[in-house]
Amino acid sequence: MPVWHAAANQWAKDGKVAVLGVTQEQHPERCRLFAQWKGFDWPILHDPINVLESSAVPIVLALDEYGIVRSTRPKPETFEKDFLTKTFDDDAKAKAVRRSPVRPPKFDALKGAATEAKTAAAWREYGDALTLWGGQKKVNDAIAAYTAAAKLDPKNGAASFRLGVCLRKRSETPGREADDFQAAVAAWEAALDIDPNQYIWRRRIQQYGPRLDKPYPFYDWVPEAEADIRKRGETPVPLPVRPGGAEIAKPSKTFEVSAAAAKNPDPDGKVNRDTGAVVAEVVAVPAAVKAGQSVRVHVTFRLTGKPLAHWNNEAEPLRVWVEPPAGVTASERLIEATKPKAATSDEPRTVNFEVQLPKDAAGTVRVPIFALYHVCDDDGGTCRFVRLDATAELKVK
Amino acid sequence: MSKFIHALPAVALLSSVALGQSPQVGDRHPDFTLPTISDGKPVSLSDYRGKKVLLIQFAAW
Repeated sequence: MPVWHAAANQWAKDGKVAVLGVTQEQHPERCRLFAQWKGFDWPILHDPINVLESSAVPIVLALDEYGIVRSTRPKPETFEKDFLTKTFDDDAKAKAVRRSPVRPPKFDALKGAATEAKTAAAWREYGDALTLWGGQKKVNDAIAAYTAAAKLDPKNGAASFRLGVCLRKRSETPGREADDFQAAVAAWEAALDIDPNQYIWRRRIQQYGPRLDKPYPFYDWVPEAEADIRKRGETPVPLPVRPGGAEIAKPSKTFEVSAAAAKNPDPDGKVNRDTGAVVAEVVAVPAAVKAGQSVRVHVTFRLTGKPLAHWNNEAEPLRVWVEPPAGVTASERLIEATKPKAATSDEPRTVNFEVQLPKDAAGTVRVPIFALYHVCDDDGGTCRFVRLDATAELKVK
Repeated sequence: MSKFIHALPAVALLSSVALGQSPQVGDRHPDFTLPTISDGKPVSLSDYRGKKVLLIQFAAW
């Protein structure tokens, strides 16, 4: 896009062309930050479920006044001569088709149509409308609609991909269900199994996956962008879900193991167990791999509210110890979670690490982990240093 | 024609651009309506009919 930006801005100002962006990302705020950083001042639309059915990005198309594609690979240096100064006729025979739900959507009519038709296409159409125009309050209905579509047509990769998008979306909200993130990964993998050439779908898995499978770091530019924007005297677009761990990890051609010395912080298991203040959600990406491959493990710790409690940030950070079984290698053994500057907080905390399975792995490989952390009751302020045990269950194809 | 077909959004049945295929030179680009990332308001490609458009699909990664 930068190659187009300066020239496109000028052509747009001169009234020669309208620039319209479409971003295929899970989180629109990240694209807003990117656009702010790069100074994109043209409209950008959000297509998180890929209704445009593109198989990869970037795609740059030159469309004439009639919406007819005149170039699929325009070049900035010849764009003016080859496109802007030319006159075109409405010579396409096809009528305009539509690839997204109509706006405003009639949710009840779409649901009624899907219920009557009992087709994957109708349920997917309903799910699309809910996802694009229903907001967070419709995410459960969207998940149900895409689930129905995928069940009716197990070969409908788009339904599975879009189901994954909605599950991931719900996993980042207070209305999440326990296995939403893992279910999202499974849905994306099901979609990719159907069409392995769909790079929009593949990237969504790689975003959260192991370094060996990454084409590039996805969001490592975020701190630089925020710093540059602040230097300009502006306030960066806030990110409700900050990228971290897998989303900023650099690709690697070999499985890398941390050289840092690590010692089990509770070898004899003497630290008292947490009695319910925190739960751990363990997610493997990919959800299933072949023997010998690597997996990115995401462990998220959430305060349950039973009892109401908060993190004590004045104490040492939450630490996770990884205890891989024989033959299994972990990228790190001891991992610290980042913590905010405030003395107390109640946000979810996530750590990532990677595991490489042995070449003879089969069935399910179980990697025990435990976390140590300081948590305090809201009522009375009693603080405890406690341990929570969990297991990463890694499925072998 | 059953009533559910009437209730479905207008998906034209006659097109040289099959669903799932990228538009090629000479194709009329399928119309779409999506929310803007800035305020969520709907914008359609067909809003730009009568203007030349540089359509850029991208991601921030």
